[in-house]
Amino acid sequence: MEADNTSVPMKILVALLFIFLLAPVILVVPLSFSGEQILSFPPESWSLRWYAALADNPKMISAFWTSLLLGAIVTAISLAVAIPAAYVIVRMRTLGSSFLYNLFTAPLLLPTIVLGLAILIVFASIGFLGTFPGLIIGHLVITLPYALRVLATTLGNLNLACEEAASTLGARPITVFRRVTLPMMAPGIVAATALCFLVSFDEVVITLFLTGPRLTTLPVELFHHVESRADPLVASVSVLLILLTLAVVMIVDRSVGLSKTFVK
Amino acid sequence: MTAITASAPPAAPRLALGRTGTAIALLLPIALINAIGFILPVLNLLRMSFNEALAGGGVRETVTFENWTGLFGDSFYVELILNSITVSLSITLATLVVSYPIALYLHRSTGRWRTFLTVLVISPLLTSAVVRTYGWIALLADQGPIVSGIAALGFAPPRLMFNTTGVIIGLTEILMPYMILSLLAGFGRLDPRVEEAAMSLGAPPIKTFWRVILPLTVPGIALGCLLCFVLAVSSFITPKLLGGGRVFLLATEIYDQAIVTLNWPLAATLSMLVLIIFGAALAVYARILRAID
Amino acid sequence: MMHQTILSGSPTVSDDRDVHLRLDGLTKTYGNSVAVSALDLSVPKGELVALLGPSGCGKTTTLRMVAGLIQPTGGRIVVGSNDITAMPTYRRDMGLVFQSYALFPHMTVAKNVAFGLEMRSVPKAEIERRVKEALAMVRLEALAERKPRELSGGQQQRVALARALVIRPSILLLDEPLSNLDAKLRDEMRNEIRDIQQSLGITAVFVTHDQVEALSMCDKVVVMRAGKLEQVGTPIDVYEHPATPFVASFVGRTNRLEGRARGDGTVDVGPMSVRVPGRPGGNVEIMVRPHRIRLLDADAAQGASGEGTNLLSGRLTRVTFVGDLLQYQVDVGGTEIVVEAASDHGRGIRSVGSPVALAWRVEDTMVFGRSA
Repeated sequence: MEADNTSVPMKILVALLFIFLLAPVILVVPLSFSGEQILSFPPESWSLRWYAALADNPKMISAFWTSLLLGAIVTAISLAVAIPAAYVIVRMRTLGSSFLYNLFTAPLLLPTIVLGLAILIVFASIGFLGTFPGLIIGHLVITLPYALRVLATTLGNLNLACEEAASTLGARPITVFRRVTLPMMAPGIVAATALCFLVSFDEVVITLFLTGPRLTTLPVELFHHVESRADPLVASVSVLLILLTLAVVMIVDRSVGLSKTFVK
Repeated sequence: MTAITASAPPAAPRLALGRTGTAIALLLPIALINAIGFILPVLNLLRMSFNEALAGGGVRETVTFENWTGLFGDSFYVELILNSITVSLSITLATLVVSYPIALYLHRSTGRWRTFLTVLVISPLLTSAVVRTYGWIALLADQGPIVSGIAALGFAPPRLMFNTTGVIIGLTEILMPYMILSLLAGFGRLDPRVEEAAMSLGAPPIKTFWRVILPLTVPGIALGCLLCFVLAVSSFITPKLLGGGRVFLLATEIYDQAIVTLNWPLAATLSMLVLIIFGAALAVYARILRAID
Repeated sequence: MMHQTILSGSPTVSDDRDVHLRLDGLTKTYGNSVAVSALDLSVPKGELVALLGPSGCGKTTTLRMVAGLIQPTGGRIVVGSNDITAMPTYRRDMGLVFQSYALFPHMTVAKNVAFGLEMRSVPKAEIERRVKEALAMVRLEALAERKPRELSGGQQQRVALARALVIRPSILLLDEPLSNLDAKLRDEMRNEIRDIQQSLGITAVFVTHDQVEALSMCDKVVVMRAGKLEQVGTPIDVYEHPATPFVASFVGRTNRLEGRARGDGTVDVGPMSVRVPGRPGGNVEIMVRPHRIRLLDADAAQGASGEGTNLLSGRLTRVTFVGDLLQYQVDVGGTEIVVEAASDHGRGIRSVGSPVALAWRVEDTMVFGRSA
């Protein structure tokens, strides 16, 4: 319900501030249908020429596929690595769990510009720059903390008694994990998947340090494009990016919504 | 019946070795990635800030403080550092001012309307900073709607892009969601009944705000300002693109030194400086929190 | 040192039947704090034994050690003739019913019940048959395909019971199974659990902090306090002949008076003299249950006097109507004594301030030694 004890001037102010907040994102939609040669708003003519230009731009398209593949691989590895780690940290509280948790989520505290430079210098010496494995590790450094955080929280909120019940019923630890713990973690796993994918797919700064002339991701390609010239091509890519993000969010909403229906 | 006292040795934790072994095996992958991608690079970066830069991008392993002393001896860098801090502070203040009404409004709304507004606040976070900065380039351009609008009103058209003003406007908008969410987190203590109580005691709205609402929301304000300042000092994409190479800030300089000039020791030193500023901001934040308690 | 129970003399519940579960000096410490201290207990085959005590007395820790969910610091757990102290939970073959039910939220009722049988590699057809049987036993056949969250608390509890029993465990463990249910449902489930336990003849250990549950359902009651046994006995034993002041006050309500025994069968409580069974000496604590005391009009008191009766006079300070009971508070020479009487349509309620007399049989007086 709307807050009704708010005065009209306050409502107008809030509306204006919301416009300020959302303007640049909303703006790219009309911009992408511009018929102009250069970036101008509002455009004087409308067309689909920049979507056509995008289809004819092999660099953007290959960068898109690189980002997609990278995001998928990074997400898969993040889950495979973070699920067991979260399990050990939350469930086998022995080895200085909170220290390890803080250590493994610490990369989130560093600015990406510093982290990117730090990784650049080390990767340069081992020949990882401009390589796909280098990009994967660079992205894992920031997706793993997110995954660990979400999964550890999920695991911590589960009813431990369910796992105990399974073991009293004769299930070995590995069976308990597979048949009870993992299915109960489903909403957290979906959330972690989406988060890892979006973080990897959107990452610019660290990636900027690690990409090379032959290997680049979509956000980095966009960055270089905006840096060098101002045309509406980026708007058409942006619209597609926003649609992709929207799709991921909706998938999460539906599946977490769905899983909520069977987890309590 | 005689008491059977527990004299047997404590039952050994079952499979102690196996358990520890399993735990280590399960933690190994994340530890390895953390070591290669985080610990090692960061330690190496710290080490790099004490190396000597050679012409043409070379690095000589040594222990010198020249990068550090050179930084504070060069007026360009002193100005760059001070400029970064003042610009970041301005951005933080601007973000607070434009975020506070939204946060307060959100805090007072309920139900679906609140959910909808929260989604609106979070949605820019899910959009790439490159895309949002690009949107600002279109808005702030010399022929863009804002400048033309101002000119149409009869004022001299201002320059809003490729200068500090543009960077401040763009970053303010980009950091708004962080500020709003922090403020909301800190608004927990703000009960609408407190406001009503103040009003019922005869306080006019403005007085209620200054005497009741604002003091209660200081923790949220402090958290939001810390977060935004830290993000502003280290932000790169927006200053780089909206500054058009004419606005010199710490993060853009780190990038230029690392990629263009290839002076890694200097880039490393600047990075360490960013971390030191982070630490200082955290210390101020802790002080403020303690002062409130 | 183990605690010596006073009345039953032996902590063993009974020796005339096969001991099924035996705890020998079972101990659990966490750092310096002792959760369970050298507990000895024998549970005969087919009995339902309650572990009763306030929260933090170690009853749940004991149960979890029996289930293998907590590793004991010392002592042994023996089932039949096997020492299972070091055996992992999943091989112990015990059915545990949790306070929080702990149903698997992602499985249907039938799948929940089938889980233990699947773990035992029981053939599919037999699983189906036994799940049906188990659900029939708890009257939930119709809900087999529901998810746990679609069931009421009582239904969830019955699924948990079916799931624990379907594996035909050697011992059934129940951890405060009724505490999340409302009062009416609790009474129902109490009878249901007792009936099922008796019809299956299964040995069961029931953890509870509710004396009514312990007294009404169980063959034996084990009262625990601060990690130690206070008393082991039949419900009647524990209620009528509490071994310690703690048991007397924890199991049922009591009036508690402190005094000094003369050694001739009387105890001085302030200015009053109270007759007690036996001839104790020294500082003592006297307890009398409120419903054992009769409230008389002051002038009718003389007739009630006699060799086997204690008679005190006092003044009525408060009357509380509790539906089926009337609770009187009487001031007797500065000491407050509570009397309970069945209420008879609210008739015969005396007015506050009136002088009254209290009478109870000497044999209803419980005496405990008290240090200094």
